[in-house]
This record gives sequence, C-alpha cells and structure tokens, in this order.
Amino acid sequence: MKSRRKMAHRCRWRAAVLAKILLLATLALSQISRAESPHDVLVFLSVEGVDMFSASDPTLEGSDVHPIADFLYTYNSDRFRFLAEYIWSDSEAEMERLQAAWVIDDETTLWFGRFHTISNYWTTEYHHGQYMQTSISRPGLEEWEDESGPMPSHVTGAWFEHEFALENQSAFDLGLSAGLAPKFEGEQLMPFDVLDPASGHDMAVSGRLVYRPDILSLNQIGLTVSHNDIAVVSESSPALTELNAIRQVTLGLFTNWQWEKWRLSSNWVYFDIDMQYVSGTVNDEFFLGYIQAEYEVSEDWTVFGRTEFGDSEDDSIYLSLLPAVVAHRQMLGVRWDFAVRHGLTLEIADTSRQADSVGHDSFKEARLQWSTVFR
Amino acid sequence: MEHCISVRTRGLQLSLLLAMALSMTAAWANDAVVLVTSSDSPITDISSLDTRKAYLGIFVTIAGNTVRPVRQRDDSRLNQVFLQSVIAMSQRSYERRLLSMMLKYGTPRPAEVRDREALIEMLERNPHAIGYMWESDAESDRRVRKVKVLWQEH
Repeated sequence: MKSRRKMAHRCRWRAAVLAKILLLATLALSQISRAESPHDVLVFLSVEGVDMFSASDPTLEGSDVHPIADFLYTYNSDRFRFLAEYIWSDSEAEMERLQAAWVIDDETTLWFGRFHTISNYWTTEYHHGQYMQTSISRPGLEEWEDESGPMPSHVTGAWFEHEFALENQSAFDLGLSAGLAPKFEGEQLMPFDVLDPASGHDMAVSGRLVYRPDILSLNQIGLTVSHNDIAVVSESSPALTELNAIRQVTLGLFTNWQWEKWRLSSNWVYFDIDMQYVSGTVNDEFFLGYIQAEYEVSEDWTVFGRTEFGDSEDDSIYLSLLPAVVAHRQMLGVRWDFAVRHGLTLEIADTSRQADSVGHDSFKEARLQWSTVFR
Repeated sequence: MEHCISVRTRGLQLSLLLAMALSMTAAWANDAVVLVTSSDSPITDISSLDTRKAYLGIFVTIAGNTVRPVRQRDDSRLNQVFLQSVIAMSQRSYERRLLSMMLKYGTPRPAEVRDREALIEMLERNPHAIGYMWESDAESDRRVRKVKVLWQEH
C-alpha cells in the first residue's frame, strides 16, 4: 500500500516536472515561432477554486483548488498538419490529442490519430482551452469521459471532414469518424490507451453535419450522430458483474448563435442504449440537454447562465452506473477579461448529480477561476 | 512687453501644431490600405473573401500553393484600419478567433512582423505571402506589388 502511494507520488512528481519543462520550452518556442516557422505553440493555464455546500448532506461539502496546464503544439506544411495536446493537472497528466492530417485540398482534410469525438459539440469547440470557454464548468452532457461524462470524448482512428461552400457564402461542413471507443471501467468510460493497444476496446463511429449561414462567422447549427460499441470490464465494479457490453446510439442537435451582444449555445442529445447483460439485453432511452446564454455587458465584462435538463434520465440504468454525472444544473456567472488574454470568472450553481438509483446528490457550487493563454 | 512676446510665441507654436495636424489629416484623407505581395509573386489577384479567409486562419490555395498572410505589429493605426475594415472584428475578437482555429484544427496563425521593412523582407523570401500596408508606402517601394485596395479614406 505504502509503495503504491510512493509510486503514485513519484508519477505525479514526474508529470509535474515534465509539465514545467514543457511550459518553459513552449514559452521559449512561442517567442521565435511567430515569423515564418511551421511550428506553433499555445499554453493554456488556469487555476480553479471550487466550494460545495449542501444543507441536506454534509458529506457532499468540501472545497478544492485545481491548477491546469494545457500545451498545444502544431506543425503545418502545405499538405501536412500535426497537432498534439498534452494536459497536466493535479489529477491527471495525459496526451489528450495526437493527430496528423493530410490536407487534401482547401475544403477537405483527413485526420489520423487520437482526437476528440466529433459528435460532442462543446468538446470540439473548446477542447481543453479553459480560457476559450466563457463558463468555468462544462455541461454534464459534455463532461470528459473520465470525469463521468456519458459519451465518449476520445477516439483513436480516422476522421474525414469536408466543407461544401455555397454561392451565397454559406457552407455545410460534413464530418465522419471511426475509431476505437472507450471501455467502461469502474464508474467511468476509459479512453483507448495508445501505449496499451491490447486493452480491449470496441468501435465508435460518429458523424456531424453543420450549417453555417456565413462561411466566416461562428454562427452554426448542426446535427450529430454516433454509434459506440463500449466494452465493459466486468470485474472492475460489482455493478458491472453481469454486464457484457454497452451499445450506445446518440442523436444530437446543437447550435451556437450570436446576435450583437447576445450569444446562445445549446446541445440536445437523445440516447438509445442497449445494456447487454448475461441474462439478456435491456434497452435504456433518455435525453440530456442544456442552453447557455451569454451577454456582453462591455468589452471586458460578460454575464452568463446555463440550465441543464433531461428527460427519463432519472430512471436510466446506464446513468446509474455513472454516479458523478451531472444531469441538472442551474448556473449563473460573470467573467472579467483583463490585461492581455487573462480572464477571471465567478460561477454559482445549483447542481444535482446522478448518484445511485435511490436519489440524486443535490448541492450548491461556487467556483472562481483565473485563466490565460500564452502564445 | 516680454509677456506679449511670450504670448505671441505660444500662439505661433499653436498655429504650427495646428497646421501640422491639418496637413497630416490631409495626408491620411488621401491614403489607402492595400494588399501587397513581392514584385515577383505569382499571386496577381485574390478575392476579398479569400483575403479574409487567409487572415482568419483558413487555408486558401492559389495556383497550388498555400497563401501565407503576414501582419505588421507596430503600426497601430494601420492595424486598426485593417481589423475594422477588412476583418470586421475588434482586436480581441480577432485574436480569440485565431486561437480558436488553432485549438480546433491546428491551423497556423498569420505570421507577425515588427514593421514595414520586415514585412517586405518576408514577402521577398516567400512569393506566396501576402501583406498589407499604406498605399503611399507600397507605391514608393519597387520590391512590392500592389494587388488590390483594401480600404480607402473617403
């Protein structure tokens, strides 16, 4: 037990040292990379403090501080592109994305490697760039798979994308991807580990069709679909003993729209899940969604709010296996952008986690975050 | 008497400053921002949409080669005109947009150089690079070719 703790401590220490070296190297590189170099780097840093209160259950109360460093490296030549994203935090150190692309033409790209699932709107919009998202928290629907997110966030395989530009300067974007899905282990989905190829993962296939009324604008509305065959590590939890596999089909509708000082982003996803038990298959259907509204009070100040909701999610067998998933949250926040690329954000929320099949864990949250990006 | 001379001198200084300011305004009034390439660049024409695309970090290919956009850092008025009139975004929105494109697709941000001389050097090194500068500067330098007028003072 003691030696395991020692090893975990050593791993964390090594990851922290690696993160510091990466930070210094990327900062140094960023100073020389802005001329003609095909190399480019971004470093996203953030520190988040979170406090949880619960009148009904004091065991849910607590506070924590999370430092996060996210390193992005890109290489570009005329027809080749490479991207690597490595994250370090107090809880993990992981190569999040490692992907290479063949740029077939201006409209068509074929990616290979480990990438973020294209059917997750929020994930593909902000990735791990905490500074880029207005809110501190992510919607429960869009949470990372290893933080009890209900959908796969990482796939290892191939991803094709094509833009159909129309004559009126609008465009359709089509994305198709196929690769290795996460597996269900303990109380979360575990993404495929490139260093352990024999770790038993099944296939994930995703598609996305997006309409942009102005090819240069960020306004968009899109449809997503995914089919994920998720292998289950039955011995990892007593709740999984009788479960062989999970077949998950999702159908989503998302939008991101800006009218002058207002911005609205939303995603609604329907889940159709077959839980393949030893005794037979049990079907599980539910729906999760959210709407986030933002208002730019001035160039430096933005107020925002989000509501997260669902239908039939309370009775979902699948979600009962993910006790930390957030299915309901009413959140309000304010963000102050100051100096050059620094943000200070405050968020308060009334949240309930899925917990077990008996009832939800309900609590209040207050979050404060500083975030920045070095380029 | 001394007081009277001092008042007159100050008046003269003010008049000179005013005249200088007016002449500068007159010069700006006739100025324009133009898109430029090196004089031997194969890029002879580029649409406004493709110019915006290139500066927003979207790949644009002309004659089989990727267009390389270049920005000047030090001329704040030139940058202001460029962002307002060509990109139609504030400095902060533009920066966020470039960061977002890089984060999402790994696309390169436009190269940044300090001043006009550095821009011309980069254009000469890369025939597929495009830049922007004051028209009066472009016309007085044979190393660059004016591709199109991006903005004209009315």
